[in-house]
Amino acid sequence: MTVRADFLPPGLLEHLGGLELVARTVVRGFQAGIHRSPLRGAGEDFAKHRDYQQGDDVRYLDWKLYARTDRLYVREFEERSNLQAYLVVDASASMEYAGAGGVSKLRYASYLAAALAHLMIGAGDAVGLAAFGAEPRLLLAPKARKGHLHDLMLNLERLRPGGTAGAADILDRLGTSMRRGGRVIVVSDLLEEHGGEALVAAAGRLSARGDEVIVLRVLTPEESGEAAPDAGLFFDPEQPRREVPSTPRGDAGYASRVAAYYASLADRLRERAVEYVPVSTAEPVEQALVAWINRRRG
Amino acid sequence: MITFGAPAYLLAGGIAALVPLALHLIRRRPPSRAPLPTARFLSPDPRTSVRVGRPTDLLLLALRMLLLVLTAAAFSRPVWRPAARGTASVVLLDRGAAVAGGDAWLRAVAAARQRLLGPRGEALGAMVLFDSAATVVPPSHVTPALFDSLKAARPAAGSSRYAAGLRAIPAAIGGLREADSVRVALVTRPRWNAWSAGLGPLRDAVWPGAVDLVELPDLETGDAEIVPDNVKAKGAIYFADALERLSFVKPGLEATRWEVLLPTGTAEPALDSARLIVVGRAVPAGLAAALGRAAQAGATVLVTAPVAASLRGLIPWAGAMRVDSVGGGMWLASGPHVSGAATRVSGDAARGASVIASWDDGRPAAAARRLGRGCVVFAATELERGEMTLDAAYPRLLDGLARGCEASDAPSSIDRNAALDAGARAVLRGTGPGVVAARTVPGWGGGVPLGRWVLAAALVVALTETFFAYGRKRAV
Repeated sequence: MTVRADFLPPGLLEHLGGLELVARTVVRGFQAGIHRSPLRGAGEDFAKHRDYQQGDDVRYLDWKLYARTDRLYVREFEERSNLQAYLVVDASASMEYAGAGGVSKLRYASYLAAALAHLMIGAGDAVGLAAFGAEPRLLLAPKARKGHLHDLMLNLERLRPGGTAGAADILDRLGTSMRRGGRVIVVSDLLEEHGGEALVAAAGRLSARGDEVIVLRVLTPEESGEAAPDAGLFFDPEQPRREVPSTPRGDAGYASRVAAYYASLADRLRERAVEYVPVSTAEPVEQALVAWINRRRG
Repeated sequence: MITFGAPAYLLAGGIAALVPLALHLIRRRPPSRAPLPTARFLSPDPRTSVRVGRPTDLLLLALRMLLLVLTAAAFSRPVWRPAARGTASVVLLDRGAAVAGGDAWLRAVAAARQRLLGPRGEALGAMVLFDSAATVVPPSHVTPALFDSLKAARPAAGSSRYAAGLRAIPAAIGGLREADSVRVALVTRPRWNAWSAGLGPLRDAVWPGAVDLVELPDLETGDAEIVPDNVKAKGAIYFADALERLSFVKPGLEATRWEVLLPTGTAEPALDSARLIVVGRAVPAGLAAALGRAAQAGATVLVTAPVAASLRGLIPWAGAMRVDSVGGGMWLASGPHVSGAATRVSGDAARGASVIASWDDGRPAAAARRLGRGCVVFAATELERGEMTLDAAYPRLLDGLARGCEASDAPSSIDRNAALDAGARAVLRGTGPGVVAARTVPGWGGGVPLGRWVLAAALVVALTETFFAYGRKRAV
């Protein structure tokens, strides 16, 4: 059953204040919209019985055993080890672009990352943070404690766009620093050199060693061609000297070229078992998450 | 209806408004520079290297054109004029010392009231009360009560200044918004002490029409006395041993009874010893030479119209000398005006003679010329006949004529307390029409000036243009 959710547009989230509040708000909307969260904790394994003592939670009483033995026993469980996850946020110069929506891609990516961190830490997973832009940076090691969420938000708030670095380097560094079987979520516009070949290769290497790699592609409607700008002299923020006089709105090939680039990238990522999730900044953050999770659940 | 005081500005504004239009049409500028991370997917379009600003700048263009037109319109002195009918009056009421004494002030107030109040007591115009300064009474305050209070008041003690009253005319006319024509009247007793230099140009500047000069009666009425001493007669010739002796003539005498009273027992005078000889009727041919000799010896010979033909060689007069029955009022250079002359003799002052009196129409009425040590004066009318002998100023007319050469010889020295002479009065009256179309009067307030409002609108448009231009610049 799908629960109807009212999603908040990114422009409104911008006015909510701190990223922590934004994350809570997004997660609330997210939880109301999904069928069943795959990120909820996988449960706990049974370890042994022991005698009931005053003060024990009665929920853990084994009533069947009580019926057979007429004695009270409580079940004890062995806690499962946390999943290690890394949120990798693109903070390159191109992420500063906001389009007409008013919220930059970096800000939108921060919303996504904050919401995911909130969800995963709530599920007992250890979450770390990495970013790339001016240079690849491992900002926070994965931790599962609640207080870690605050550090995550603080680091996300401090991210400033700049630089032209690609995602490949930081992904390779993650491969050496985190244990196998972890989860890496990349939030980026994926505007890489050479068609993103290095990114695809690095993500493929992580995937090959058993990590779950998810790529959230963030793009504005102006960039995707849905709301292409009018005539102007355009330049790539990561290559400001190269100016192109053009009229994107009247250029029918522009949107198709953008779509072809990302389609190619998505195909190559999927070939390497990397999940590719396109997201538009015109879409409410929680709506994007719900759509993604529901799509994942089938 | 909106009228423009300076429509040339409007035309200039219209032409100026074409300038931004032309600039907007021909101006091209490089396209705006904008970031786009996906610029690598753009196909270069050389046509967008330059961009014509027409589509997005129409509002700015309209605002700029409107700004220029409004600014020009503000300078073109726009005035909204409501429909107006009728003739309004502006009465300059002298409240100085000149109208004090007797019932002059009451007469002045009555004269003003007659011109400014309609049959139902409604205001017919504005009033200017002046002495050395002026107060404008707008039509809304011109009421019967006002004139009642003026009657109860007394004139000021100081001298009046016509300049003060005249200067207030534009302000008074400015309040006449419901009239399409205006007349101006001046109620005063004309005196030199109210005169000031440059009054003529001032009068012409403030009022293009004629001023109705309402003169109050002179206080000297009836002051003449009979002084029958030392006046002698010989036939139609009258003698006196002093010039002022002619002032004995009593006002009110009928023309035909004008006569010189002779003391009893006086011997027949000799012409040679006379100081003043008045020749009222035709004289024998041989007497002309005797009169000339008397003048050479120092006498003043005053010749009147009936004698003109017989003394043609003696009198300072030239022309046809035709006697007609026009008559009229006579202005003497020394001041007095005497009306009621029965006849006049055509012609002009002879060469070397001075005009010492004029008719109301400005033509010469008397002339004087030195002859030896004496003087010959010619008055182009019959001094003994007509209603002029009933005029209060008649004695002073005779006195002035008798002093004809003194008047022409003596340097101009005006008695400030004397009445204005004909020339000064003519200056006060002016030569234009009595009623003038209001729209031709400088400073006429028959409308609502819109210049300030239009300028304010232009300011609002300028601010709006700035706002939009700034917004557009930011958008780019």
